[in-house]
Amino acid sequence: MTTLALPAFSSRRMGGLGRRLAIVAVTLLGLLAMTFFIGRVMPLDPVLSIVGSDADHSTYEQVYKQLGLDQPLYVQFGYYLRDLLHGDLGRSLMSGNPVTTDILRVFPATIELATLAILFGTCVGVPLGVFAATHKGRLGDQVVRVISLCGYSVPVFWFGMMGLIIFYAWLGWAGGAGRVDLAYDGLVQSRTGLLLIDSALAGEWEVFRNALKYITLPACILGLHSMAYIARMTRSFMLNQLNQEYIITARVKGLSEREVIWNHAFRNILVQLLTIVALAYGSLLEGAVLIETVFAWPGFGSYLTSSLLLGDMNAVMGCVLLIGIIFVTLNLVADALYQVFDPRTR
Amino acid sequence: MRKMPSVLAACALAVSLIGAPALAKTPSDQLIIGMSMNNLLSLDPAGATGNDVVEINANLYDSLVELDPVNTYKVMPALAESWAIADDKRSITFKLRRGVKFHSGNPLTAQDAAWSLQRVLKLNLALASVWKGYGFTAQNAETSIQAPDAQTLVIRLPEATDPKLVIYTLATSVSAVVLDSKKVMANEKDGDLGRTWLTTNEAGSGPFVFNEWRQKDVLMMTRFDGYWRGAPKLRRVLLRHMTESQTLRLMLERGDIDVANGMSVPDVEAMKKNPAIVVESVQRGNVYYVAMSVKDQKFADKRVRQAIRSLIDYDGINKTVMPNYGVFHQRPVALGLPATLPEPGYRLDVPAAKKLLAEAGFPNGFKTSIRVLSDPPFINIATSLQSTLALAGIDASVIPGTGNQVYGAMRDRSFEIIVGRGGGGAEPHPHSNLRSLVYNPDNRDEAKLTNFQGWRTSFISPEINALIEKAEVEADEKKQLAMYQDVQKLYDQQVGAIQPVSQMIDTVVLQKDIRNFRGHPAATTHWRDVYKQR
Repeated sequence: MTTLALPAFSSRRMGGLGRRLAIVAVTLLGLLAMTFFIGRVMPLDPVLSIVGSDADHSTYEQVYKQLGLDQPLYVQFGYYLRDLLHGDLGRSLMSGNPVTTDILRVFPATIELATLAILFGTCVGVPLGVFAATHKGRLGDQVVRVISLCGYSVPVFWFGMMGLIIFYAWLGWAGGAGRVDLAYDGLVQSRTGLLLIDSALAGEWEVFRNALKYITLPACILGLHSMAYIARMTRSFMLNQLNQEYIITARVKGLSEREVIWNHAFRNILVQLLTIVALAYGSLLEGAVLIETVFAWPGFGSYLTSSLLLGDMNAVMGCVLLIGIIFVTLNLVADALYQVFDPRTR
Repeated sequence: MRKMPSVLAACALAVSLIGAPALAKTPSDQLIIGMSMNNLLSLDPAGATGNDVVEINANLYDSLVELDPVNTYKVMPALAESWAIADDKRSITFKLRRGVKFHSGNPLTAQDAAWSLQRVLKLNLALASVWKGYGFTAQNAETSIQAPDAQTLVIRLPEATDPKLVIYTLATSVSAVVLDSKKVMANEKDGDLGRTWLTTNEAGSGPFVFNEWRQKDVLMMTRFDGYWRGAPKLRRVLLRHMTESQTLRLMLERGDIDVANGMSVPDVEAMKKNPAIVVESVQRGNVYYVAMSVKDQKFADKRVRQAIRSLIDYDGINKTVMPNYGVFHQRPVALGLPATLPEPGYRLDVPAAKKLLAEAGFPNGFKTSIRVLSDPPFINIATSLQSTLALAGIDASVIPGTGNQVYGAMRDRSFEIIVGRGGGGAEPHPHSNLRSLVYNPDNRDEAKLTNFQGWRTSFISPEINALIEKAEVEADEKKQLAMYQDVQKLYDQQVGAIQPVSQMIDTVVLQKDIRNFRGHPAATTHWRDVYKQR
């Protein structure tokens, strides 16, 4: 039986995988096509960004042709796809660098910031949510709900400015703008682009300490929004579980409240929690433009925004493609983890 | 509760790890400048389009001559020790100093100077426009710009113009800096004359050597010990990308940066009260203006343009909106030039405007639109204009946009009113302003003289054009001055389509211990003499 069932199982799996990959490819292609054509109809002129508003017509025309903008749109898109299939995202019209180089430069800064932010958001948000659910209607619950509401609704740039005033200007605990003191800039060789990891690998603990001083405040403020969202969702999921009959059964069996909450109720919300944490992480990776602006953080969000405002569509397309891949990957990872944590989905 | 001590201990550890509060100070031999690098797209001097890149290149490269930052008519020697204008005013000969070396160690020669100017014309990038305005082309570049020997550079003017104007351009435009031709050509790719390489590299002889530029993050340069004027006092200059004005302010107050560019007016005003900070303003050649498109039938009528001129609240705008951005000015020629006439005294006069509109057939006003950059002070000027136009029944909608969108529409001649900024003026010469704002030698759409703002408005006056052309080549300075004054009078009478509101000023905020930081009107601020008095 086993020998007969295995090929059937594998082919079903393979078929599912192929279908999923096809969906991913179509999704990314659609994303690129939409970005490309919307980008081209936007009233933004990359040529003017390059030559300046006082350039004469011959200079303008020369650059217009050099950028290939005199070709029909579908031809331009065709060229883009052809190059993309060869692994070439093109050159940024503004920086002159290959887009891949630019993204590899700015993305690690965002990964570092977003990862710390989501760690903060999850480590604080989940216990707060569980606490609120288990103290429903009481003072603790109200406090958590107010914190969540504030974290969710107060603009992140306001938190950023307040954080800078209090923790940087008044108390001097946090670093200011940027990733590290300029005195330490360039002291550590970039291996991963993640300054904390690079400085630790190099044994440059002073740089590590300085980088930590700089990243803590923006990461916590960025994580505040995720924390609020995760706390609210955790509370809601937990309340739903705590009303289930199996929880009453567990209590009747004489299990401690801690066991009931963490081993029974919490375990059953893990799958849902994973999904929201994964999506929150994706949003953070997509770029925290406002926090990056306030803290002059040289990350992906500010790169994408400035490219968009200058009409640098090669850079924008590269960024959008990466965002698409991030979300698709996170969804796939969340799906895979569903199967780990929830036996019913296997 | 049992866990509280461990939580507190963890917090204490985190605080001690991060550090105790202390007022930071930048190193005494480094200058740290906070500024927006959003428009810093290339370091190539031939393609420089913004003041940021002009300032950076002025410190990486040398030019033949320089303008004194205080007495801006005074041309000072730089790479050229002396120069002479031919009697027929059709050529200028420069004698270059000996012993100057590029950062690469290559000797700097007149051949490098000639090659650098020829390169600008051959590449035909942004800054070629000004040279093309003097009649230089890619075709005549090699015959009109020549180096007969290593120390002599001869520039022959293809068209009659005022040689002073060309010398001013050589002193103020970064397109005229001298590049290390050998180094650039060693990095040439596909006949691009080193354009790709120079986007993120330099080949200069200036007081600072470029180290690294991480776009939208940081740009670093260190002093050039072999600099011909002597090594600068600062060991390093760092430019940090910061767009948020309040962050700049906090970092200045904490002493983490030395100089801040591009701060908002409320923050600049707040910094003026800080005894450790100095606020410096420098006048630029550009003006803030209200431009009307004469292509639009309404504005083709002189009386309507005159009515709009009377519907601008010059006093209100300059007192409330323009502090730290500009100063009161209503003429197309920059404030402070010998040729500039006294202010004409335009003021908000609603009854006069209503009368003019009625005479023009618009007793109840009309509908129009104002295109404007969404940043201050442009949007504030537009909002003020919108409200004062309404007083005469003109219903104007404000269309905010990026510089790209606003000036793009202006270059396409598809606008009605624009609140903008421009007008040349890098050279302290009336022709620079008039050529940019007023001159329009060919009003046809197909002429596409997009670099002339006069053409963009479709305003043409053959009389004014002729006078500008005549003044440009007039050898007698007194007669030339009188002609430029006549142009302003004519522009006043004919009610030009571009009405200046304010002369641009740039504000820089810096620590009090910084010495010799003198903002230059042409943005070529030199850091070679800057130091910190501590």
